Amino acid sequence: MKRREFLQGTTALAGGALLAGGAPAPARAQGEPKQGGTLIWGHSETTQNLDMHQTGTASTSRLLENVHDSIVTIDENFQVIPNLAERFEMAEDGLTYTFELRRGVKFHDGSEMTAADVKYSFERCKDPETGAVNFEVFNDVEAIETPDDHTVVIRMSRVNAPFLSRLAENGAGVVMPEGSGDIQGTLPTGTGPFRFVRREFGNEVELEAFPDHWRGRPHLDRIVSREVTEPTVRLSGLQTGEFHLINDIPLDRVDALKSDASVNVLTWFPLSWAFLNFNHDRETFQDARVREALDLMIDKEVLVQGAIWGQGVTTASPSFPASPSHNDDITPRAQDFERAKALLAEAGYGPGELSFVFKVTTNYPWHVEATQILVEWFRQGGVEVSIQQLSWSDWLSQCWVDRDYDVTMMNFFTLWEPDFLYYSLWNSEGAFNYRNISDPEIDEMTSAARRVVDPEERARIYRDIQKRVQDEAHDVVLWFRNGTVGAQPSVGGLDGLVHPNGSNLRFRNVWLES
Amino acid sequence: MRYLGKRLALLAFTLFLISLITFAVTNVLPGDVATMIMGTQSNPEALAGLRARLGLNDPLWLQYGRWIGGMLTGDWGVSLRFKEPIAPLIAQKITASGLIVAMSLTLALALAIPLGVWSAVNRDRWQDATGSGLALAGISLPDFFWGIVLILIFARGLGWLPSSGYASPAEDFGAALRHATLPAVALGASLMAHLTRMTRSTMLEVMGQDFIRVCRAKGLSEGTVILRHALRNSIAPVLTVAGLQLGYLFGSIIVIETLFNFTGMGWLTYQALLNRDMPLLQACVFVIAAVVMLTNLVVDLLYAALDPRMELA
Repeated sequence: MKRREFLQGTTALAGGALLAGGAPAPARAQGEPKQGGTLIWGHSETTQNLDMHQTGTASTSRLLENVHDSIVTIDENFQVIPNLAERFEMAEDGLTYTFELRRGVKFHDGSEMTAADVKYSFERCKDPETGAVNFEVFNDVEAIETPDDHTVVIRMSRVNAPFLSRLAENGAGVVMPEGSGDIQGTLPTGTGPFRFVRREFGNEVELEAFPDHWRGRPHLDRIVSREVTEPTVRLSGLQTGEFHLINDIPLDRVDALKSDASVNVLTWFPLSWAFLNFNHDRETFQDARVREALDLMIDKEVLVQGAIWGQGVTTASPSFPASPSHNDDITPRAQDFERAKALLAEAGYGPGELSFVFKVTTNYPWHVEATQILVEWFRQGGVEVSIQQLSWSDWLSQCWVDRDYDVTMMNFFTLWEPDFLYYSLWNSEGAFNYRNISDPEIDEMTSAARRVVDPEERARIYRDIQKRVQDEAHDVVLWFRNGTVGAQPSVGGLDGLVHPNGSNLRFRNVWLES
Repeated sequence: MRYLGKRLALLAFTLFLISLITFAVTNVLPGDVATMIMGTQSNPEALAGLRARLGLNDPLWLQYGRWIGGMLTGDWGVSLRFKEPIAPLIAQKITASGLIVAMSLTLALALAIPLGVWSAVNRDRWQDATGSGLALAGISLPDFFWGIVLILIFARGLGWLPSSGYASPAEDFGAALRHATLPAVALGASLMAHLTRMTRSTMLEVMGQDFIRVCRAKGLSEGTVILRHALRNSIAPVLTVAGLQLGYLFGSIIVIETLFNFTGMGWLTYQALLNRDMPLLQACVFVIAAVVMLTNLVVDLLYAALDPRMELA
């Protein structure tokens, strides 16, 4: 569909069936789990560095999630719950965490997990020499003590409220055997339900069941992850029976596939969220009126239909919809060209007087589609925009690292931990503040939330932050996108596949009927 | 022998130049592997640390020295992005590419020679027009275009062959052949066209020579004249060109393998480039260059062996 045709014709489409939030809806034949079999997974990405600490890509973590376990994890309500630690507690002052480890947990190399392994793993992640992506999680950690084989005590130099939640992510909370750092890149070793067998780079990765897993042997004997980056090839592989399961169904095919009785489609909400970015170092975009004017030119509902084929919903808050810190009172600005033009005029830009370059990465084809639609609206609003398409590496170095752009857009996996989300992205010192946002009010709130231990109070602060971001139009949050998995009817247990974090796939819950 | 020594010395020198150029060019590319590794999880502090750890801040001469020293002593290092040891990775991928290169060369020869002979024998008739037309189309259109056409017809349309992917011949030979067929045909299309034209023109030249008239005067059948006498005398230059084109085929695999997502040497080179994985990229370019030069050398030597009139100097 061409853009113009699209802009005229989508009002009818808008407001179609939207998914409710929460866990994936069960609609599949579910019998008793069966043992055995090899599941062939058509995986959407080429796996990168296999070292859980060093890999920064969600796609590689999606695989490694099955090889590793973290010390704690989260449930459907984002509450931190025991995992490799059987019990944990935080001291009243928030400065000491004590973990009581599960006994008899085996690593893939046969050794038994002890407190020394936990200490080793956390210190390895913290050590700058390791190059761990999540090393900053341990910034406030002063000492890690191991009073006995099954107790770990972590002392903090100051209160760090998000600490425990961050340990629920495999990236930081994973436990590896002591001294295994050097082999993790080629032979990832953990306590997870599946053991790494081999990787033929660019082609496939093989995992096998770990019979000594502390939860018991998983249902599947083996998982072969075939790396098929071309979405249509992945889909036809599912339809011809070459794959039992694929992730990321091409967005334009999801609806058609849902009515295909020979495959099961699992969609969940949300996988990721996207936003439009202004470079706050550019004088033009320091003016909140300009940012709001551009926001007002966007019909978010139409954008969701046009760019991601309706596979998502509009939102003004990037917080996980089910999380207590999600602000339910803010909504996206409705499209209003009159008001937008008036704001621009007020800011000193008559029709045709504002012009900028929109840089977008081809790494996400739907971003390019979205950009084309957005630019059409901006032009209708009397703004001159040219589009520059960038490869992933060019986008990263120009927009993310050098911050050399006017306007761009990006998406993130649902960073459900609010400190990680709001401090990193909106604090002026935040690690991901590639928009050069500097708002003293947000700085104060994001810093304060880190030192507040009471969950209710923290959640309230984060709700205020969302409102502030929206009021100031620092960025324009566009949508939550659904995650999708397609599977043969023979794949059982799909409902347990997706981790509550919306990104990871837990194959231990899945079995093959035949 | 002296000739061989001279050629090998020249080859070593050229490879050295190539290593310098590869290193220089890959280092002026914008962006770096540290940025790619950390993606949207990086912050300035972490990036600086990673760059230092990967040795990206060292002076260029030191980085070059480290690389070339490693290449010479057999320590090709580890890919920065994928953490795979480079030498076994390249060995595995070059085998995959070798399969499609060999298939495309075989296909090109198997089709080009009969087609060229047929055109030459039926000079200026419809057969010739058809053969020459096909050849012209093969030469004029780039190989990735043939790739797209083949995908549309044989994968999307007829569904006979997979449009993408790789299978290991050691595991499933049939699947490996099926996956390699379309890339091999796309890769070989223009070579086939070249060889057809070449066969046709050398055939015409030979057919016009006196000894052919003698053969016919002897009363030999036309088939014998064409196959036993004319073709035998025309084929040597065709084979030489085919051999020399081997290098060209290896140079074209980047586009074709990327198009078919055939995970061989060309695909690997492109991944290394996309990820700014310098040690891997340099090794890939270096190996491809070495393969091209070595095949050319071998073809030259073979040519001398086949045709005694050829003098090596």
